[in-house]
Amino acid sequence: MKTDEQQLREWMVGGLKGDAAAHACLLRALVPLLRAYYRRRCGPQAEYIEDLVQEVLIAVHSRRATYDPVRPFGGWLLAIARYKMIDHYRRQGRTVPMDDMDMIADEADFEAASIARIDTDRLLDMLPPKQAGAIRATHIDGLSVAEAADRVGLGQSDIKVSVHRGIKALAARMRGTR
Amino acid sequence: MRTDRLIEQLARDVPPVPRRAVGWRLALGIVGGGMVTIGAIALLLGFRPDLDLAMQGPNFWIKWAYTISLGLLSIHATARLARPDQGRLSAPWLMLLPLAALAGVGAVELMRAPPADWLAMWLGHSWRVCSAMVFLLSAPIFIGLLWSFRRLAPTRLRAAGGTAGLAAGAWGATLYCLHCPEVSAIFVLTWYSLGIALAAGMGALLGPRLLRW
Repeated sequence: MKTDEQQLREWMVGGLKGDAAAHACLLRALVPLLRAYYRRRCGPQAEYIEDLVQEVLIAVHSRRATYDPVRPFGGWLLAIARYKMIDHYRRQGRTVPMDDMDMIADEADFEAASIARIDTDRLLDMLPPKQAGAIRATHIDGLSVAEAADRVGLGQSDIKVSVHRGIKALAARMRGTR
Repeated sequence: MRTDRLIEQLARDVPPVPRRAVGWRLALGIVGGGMVTIGAIALLLGFRPDLDLAMQGPNFWIKWAYTISLGLLSIHATARLARPDQGRLSAPWLMLLPLAALAGVGAVELMRAPPADWLAMWLGHSWRVCSAMVFLLSAPIFIGLLWSFRRLAPTRLRAAGGTAGLAAGAWGATLYCLHCPEVSAIFVLTWYSLGIALAAGMGALLGPRLLRW
């Protein structure tokens, strides 16, 4: 997770020094991150996701002077992504619910959380769907074991075992990759 | 357009960005607009004839200390708001310091003068036009700042517009000092500040529309 931020920031700093190749690497690496970000927020089938992704890429390019290399890159990027999304809704005359706005604007570590989310998703995708689903329900959505069992249509012990095995597999993977 | 084509195109044009680019860009916008303001003063109002004499006395420098410190503080705030991820101002109350200092000077001046003179000190000769002049002379500087913002990324547009307007007002007032012969601190405290506040208010009003990107 740290290496991702590290790598993106290195490319960004390279681009700021005039390294076009690093800049291209950065923009290319941002595409899946931004798609995941907007899918999560606007719904996976929203047809304007690609427009938003491109708008963010253009902004990252033309307004890159506003990135301060001593600050986290993820925070800067997500501030732009969030702005573009709110601006999109505003242009459409759609109001963004105040609750969401508060959540978006005020959560101090919202950026860190979003990056962590994207990474979590990527990690969970490496597990069998059953285990991933069980972990998501109990550890991310915060359901109880009984509720999770209801939702996925499995027995409670099955959920417990899946969570246990899944977390163990993830831990092994993390140790392996570090 | 396909996204990878877009990336290809963008990556073709990657000039190096100097450190402190945000500050430079804002400074450039203010200087560019300020030239227009100076031109307008020279052509339409004229510099005060006793300018070099006035620059040897304290009154001129008290005015400049007020407007320039306000100008620097508001550029600093604008530079923060020009970054997408630094939306919060660290110490907005700092902007009240120049105001408080000038109020202190004004109070001392009033105490030294007989109360019969107070009204004349407050209204000076030009109280009717002073605020409007400061406001109008700030317009070119505000436009210069709008140019600066074309490469910047504010996410709180009203606040950014407000601080940009404040900066434009403060620097417009600084240049107006080259024309305006008024000397008393309470005159400046009232009428200059009113013009600067108008500029800030206009900036906050227009910010959400003009600073969108």
